[in-house]
Amino acid sequence: MTSAALSQRVLDEYAAVRESLPAGVVSPERRQEAVQALAARGLPTTREENWRYTNLRPLERARFAPAVVAAADAMGVPAETATPALPLPSGSELPAQLEGFARYTFVDGVFASDLSSPEEQNGLSVHTLRRSARGATSATVFQLPRALPVLGRLPEARLALLNEAFATDTAAIHVGGAAGQPARVEVLFIAVAGADIGTSYPRVQVSLDPASRLILVERHIGAGGGTHFINGLVNVDVGRGAQLTHYRLQQASARATWLDTLSAVLATDARYALLAVNTGGLSARSTTHVQMAGPGAQLVLSVAALGDRQQVQDYFALVEHVAPRARTEQIFRGIASGRARVAFNGKIAVREAAAGTDSRQSLRGLLAGPEAEIDVRPQLEIYTDDVRCSHGATAGKLDDDMLFYLLSRGLSPEVARRLLKWAFLEDVVSKIELPALRRQIEHDLAGQMADAASLKELL
Amino acid sequence: MLKIENLHVKVDGKEILKGLTLTVPTGEVHAVMGPNGSGKSTLANVLAGRPGYEITAGAVTFQGRDLLALAPEDRAREGVFLGFQYPVEIPGVNNVYLLKAAVNAARKHRGLEEVDAFEFLALVREKMRLMRMEESMLSRGVNEGFSGGEKKRNEVLQMLVLEPRLAILDETDSGLDIDALKVVANGVNTLRSAERSLVLVTHYQRLLDYIVPDHVHVLVKGRIARSGDKSLALELERRGYDWVTGEAA
Ligand SMILES: Nc1ncnc2c1ncn2[C@@H]1O[C@H](COP(=O)(O)OP(=O)(O)OP(=O)(O)O)[C@@H](O)[C@H]1O
Ligand SMILES: [Mg+2]
Repeated sequence: MTSAALSQRVLDEYAAVRESLPAGVVSPERRQEAVQALAARGLPTTREENWRYTNLRPLERARFAPAVVAAADAMGVPAETATPALPLPSGSELPAQLEGFARYTFVDGVFASDLSSPEEQNGLSVHTLRRSARGATSATVFQLPRALPVLGRLPEARLALLNEAFATDTAAIHVGGAAGQPARVEVLFIAVAGADIGTSYPRVQVSLDPASRLILVERHIGAGGGTHFINGLVNVDVGRGAQLTHYRLQQASARATWLDTLSAVLATDARYALLAVNTGGLSARSTTHVQMAGPGAQLVLSVAALGDRQQVQDYFALVEHVAPRARTEQIFRGIASGRARVAFNGKIAVREAAAGTDSRQSLRGLLAGPEAEIDVRPQLEIYTDDVRCSHGATAGKLDDDMLFYLLSRGLSPEVARRLLKWAFLEDVVSKIELPALRRQIEHDLAGQMADAASLKELL
Repeated sequence: MLKIENLHVKVDGKEILKGLTLTVPTGEVHAVMGPNGSGKSTLANVLAGRPGYEITAGAVTFQGRDLLALAPEDRAREGVFLGFQYPVEIPGVNNVYLLKAAVNAARKHRGLEEVDAFEFLALVREKMRLMRMEESMLSRGVNEGFSGGEKKRNEVLQMLVLEPRLAILDETDSGLDIDALKVVANGVNTLRSAERSLVLVTHYQRLLDYIVPDHVHVLVKGRIARSGDKSLALELERRGYDWVTGEAA
């Protein structure tokens, strides 16, 4: 299908469902703007440099209308009240709840109160925008004026426009004041409806007032192992001196298509630690754009990605330094097994005004299958002299000496390989400061390694 | 225990071991000495099953079985232990995890249950005290950031925990200070028994003051050029390898 034909389909599908889309989430005007921007510029293709490794073919088969709207149509009920058609996972099938965290669960991009456990916390307010009056809540409290223009001009963020146009709900998280303890929130997104029904649009807005703190766990899972089609959008605004620790776990179903865009703006002295662990989906692409807008802002972006079988795990990260003395650290550890393709494209742009920028990149890929592919690419675009930028990028196989050492101690080749893969991810995993979450992630990453962690604790 | 007959080994097409014959009976300690590049580590690696070596002739039997037919991990589980000349660092793989996985692999091989985690830790701690190692080293990555001497001690610690039948220690004494040498020798000696055999590859006769060998062999250009009792090491120290190579040539 040509790009033009695809854009036309987006327009048609939008026209068909526009009346059913909740205005409190995104105003009709902004939705309209988004589809038009997308139609004007077309959907991405793999001919574009920064989409080269993405599997974009699922787009051709996609139904862009939100799954919940299609389901409501089928049931003959108003879209506003529609619930997903398929049986919901029960609470016990969900990942164990993290202590001290308020959980908000969304099914196919719509808040599910039964599966949530909100909690009062100092300075924290969490709203779901689906049921809010047209424009009111979102316009007054949660508009993130800086986000849309950024998405509009960035070619790598075009898929966010789909979310902007079709969004069905938003987890809007706001932290005010400088409370003693950081607020703790988990947002859990579950994809249930198959891609034949429609798309799931997870959407999160996070804003931190000056000097406030938040630990956010954002988790994406799938139910029923379907061919979900997911298009997520996360907007982050970290105020002056505020601190956000953000864990993102992409654990979509094995046959899912996963596309997401995260856009963040950091004010003066803001600190943002974003740690992503991407293991799910058949075709996955994550796009992250962080703007270091205030002097002294600090970003640590850590990404671990695992691809096996036919999986495609593609990550594009652009960090833009527009203010002086900001610091960026990018760490990527990716493993490609089977016939998987794993790519990380980390770009750091230092604009003229960003004197004193300090950026480091450590990007490493591990090739663990004869037919697997790995690509790690640091890119630097520097428009000022006064910068310190260092980068290291390597892609290679498991170290033979390490492997033999483990075999010589009696470990089986399978266990030895798994252990070394595990060790390879340690630079990212060790940054997870919540023990309970780390255990969950360790468990997901390496089922049998779980007892290694428990043994550690005895010491 | 170990019988090596007429072993020929090539590395990258170049013959390194050229008809090596050596027998190590059960309960004995044998020292292997020899100039740099004579093939000592090659021999040790071939016995442990390291890939990259082409065995062109000869046979090795271990407890009556064809050792060369076994995969490296099976050799380890059967009780062959190699203390590496240059132990590799494996950041991210926890020391104690490796120890436990190694012990359990051997136990499973023998049809035994997994070790009890508490008893296991108690045992490891005891051996660490013997090796004068700090307990904090347990929770670090395998050899990660260890000094040369610490790595060697860690090799001996692993050996003490695994209790192999045949231990081949490749220059475990190199890089040790005088006190550490005694600690390591003491550790090795606790393992000496009528059921176990030891092969010590070393350049220094000093180690043999602490671990007294039953036999000493001199490896020159891929073959055992001379064998004798512990006095051979002393004589070598006095006269140098020229004495042996001269004779062998
Ligand atoms: N991959 C290789 N390609 C070519 N030659 C090799 C290779 N590996 C080892 N060798 C050669 O084999 C010979 C024997 O090496 P080995 O490591 O066994 O010696 P060694 O007796 O242990 O020496 P040292 O006392 O220095 O430890 C050396 O000449 C070495 O250069
Ligand atoms: Mg050697």
